[in-house]
Amino acid sequence: MSPTPATGDTGDREPLPAPSNEPPAGPSPRRLGRATVGKVIAFLPALVPTAIVVAIVVTLVSSSHLHNFGWRFFEAGGGSNPYGDLVFIVGSFLTAVPALFFSMLIGLGIAIASTTYLPSFLSKILDPFVDLLAGIPSVVYGIWAFIVVAPVFGTLVNPWAVAHLSFLPGFASSNHPTSPTSLGVGVPLAIVVLTLMALPITTLLIRDALRSIPRDLWESGLALGATRWEVVRRVSLRHGSRGIWSAAFLGFGRAIGETVAVAMVIGSADRFPVNVYDSSNTMAAYMFENLDAALVNPLVGYNLAELALVLLAITLAVNILGRRLVTHIYAQEVPGL
Amino acid sequence: MATALASSTTPPRWDPSDDLRRSDTFRVRWRTGFDRWVGYLLPLLFLVAIIPILDLVYYIGSQAIPTLSATVVTSVSSYQSYDALGVPIITTFLFVALATILAVALGLFGGIATAEFLSERSASWVRMSANVLAGMPSVIVGYFGFFAFVLYFHWGYVFIAGVVTLSFFMTPYIFRTVDLAYSSIPRPIREAAFGSGAKPVQYILRVGTPIAFPQILTGVFLAMAIGLGETAPIVLTVTPNIVVPSGLFQPATYLTYLIWIGFSSPPGSIFLTEAFQAAFVILVVVVALNVVVRFIAARYRKRLEGLYH
Repeated sequence: MSPTPATGDTGDREPLPAPSNEPPAGPSPRRLGRATVGKVIAFLPALVPTAIVVAIVVTLVSSSHLHNFGWRFFEAGGGSNPYGDLVFIVGSFLTAVPALFFSMLIGLGIAIASTTYLPSFLSKILDPFVDLLAGIPSVVYGIWAFIVVAPVFGTLVNPWAVAHLSFLPGFASSNHPTSPTSLGVGVPLAIVVLTLMALPITTLLIRDALRSIPRDLWESGLALGATRWEVVRRVSLRHGSRGIWSAAFLGFGRAIGETVAVAMVIGSADRFPVNVYDSSNTMAAYMFENLDAALVNPLVGYNLAELALVLLAITLAVNILGRRLVTHIYAQEVPGL
Repeated sequence: MATALASSTTPPRWDPSDDLRRSDTFRVRWRTGFDRWVGYLLPLLFLVAIIPILDLVYYIGSQAIPTLSATVVTSVSSYQSYDALGVPIITTFLFVALATILAVALGLFGGIATAEFLSERSASWVRMSANVLAGMPSVIVGYFGFFAFVLYFHWGYVFIAGVVTLSFFMTPYIFRTVDLAYSSIPRPIREAAFGSGAKPVQYILRVGTPIAFPQILTGVFLAMAIGLGETAPIVLTVTPNIVVPSGLFQPATYLTYLIWIGFSSPPGSIFLTEAFQAAFVILVVVVALNVVVRFIAARYRKRLEGLYH
């Protein structure tokens, strides 16, 4: 660590090298000190995040009593199998996948515009708006979407789609339990809200990926006669593909785990949607709304804990995949990322 | 005549406009025009982010501001009988304050240890688990709080269960900013400290902390903003109360809970009014915290650059 003892004479010693940011050869200066007891004491608090994750997994596994339901858990519920939760798993994917698709598209557009086309003073003004989207609490999104956006769907979008798109499968309003023109809540509204909520994460990660392209590559692309768009499409997007994939994974993790906002706008009907306007429910929203019943019936508690375990497995997998793709640390903390 | 003949035998002089004219094919015009129009149209996508934000802030403000007054915000009368937001605001403040203290206690030392003591390998492992914890859905953390504290420890739906659950939710954010803050201290400064004989603890206390402190502060503020906006961890572990809890094992109410119970009430009902008021208060505090974080982070970045040069 300290190569030279601090004595007074510096007579015949070679001059110190100029300070540099390069890591010096030899043992890494990360490791401070040698005292093992101190090291152990210092090491313990670093285990806190891991310990919390392990505690969550252990608690959910032990309170789900996995043998109770077996594979019947993954069947559609109702009738002889009241604890089949396939509806919610399907509902989660039905809302999260389209939301991820839209937020990736919009995020790509915003990121390309901000890194390539806009003058830097404009993107400095506009980028914080996208980041601010991440800071707004999900329950505030929920009340806004339920009161402001849902009537737009109920009175404008859904009636228009019924009138003009009913030749498409699923767009007709027949055999619909509730009128598509009533409240406007349902899967489409949930997709809109989830798109907005995943947008800051996807945009931020794609922006970082596009910014990481070396200036040389960018300029040699232009020098070969390519337009900015061609350089973005053929060079930047390929160079940043890992970051873009990680944006997709982490955005999906955010979309599928979103709880309160979805519970407010999806209509909370525990069934497969019969058409595109219908209500349904997601894992997170169903878990959030029905936990009280676990106090009355322990089987419900086991069932919900198992559902939580499924959601946990999905988000863990998606998060680990997304994080392994990009190695750098984000200088800016964004909630939920 | 003679000059014209001479010029026709020598190669023609190169004229740049000639080149351009030759390259001005349909294909080139299409490519450059496409590029230009992409440049005009793509920035419009920012509207997808900006319009909802402005509409959200405007709508919630327009619903909440006419009914909000100093007496509403400070009155500690029973919040369900008439306009009085004092109890939820005070209780929310207590929630966030206690959870922040707990989360700092859980995350601060771990972040320092990860940045300063751990090998690169174990540090990356710890960082991964912190990232995973930050990416975990809030409902899962709430379930953990319910099964662990409410049921297993037999605490019931009480204040402290919500505080601990919330602090677990906030810990990874504090952990990560602390880790980042200490990791990004310039190497020459570390070397100068150790070269002049500082012990690790001396380095952390006297050199590292003063440099890293602004960024730690941003992490704390950010975690507070996140904790303030969370609903699921609280709703699943605490029952509401009409007074400020007098002890840790009392029921307690929370601002986001007011939104959750009031959002589907008919227009004009007291629950809906309170939901909007709560949403407005949360929005103001969260945006203020975010602005403060941005401000500190910008100043901190400048200072770090100053340290490098």
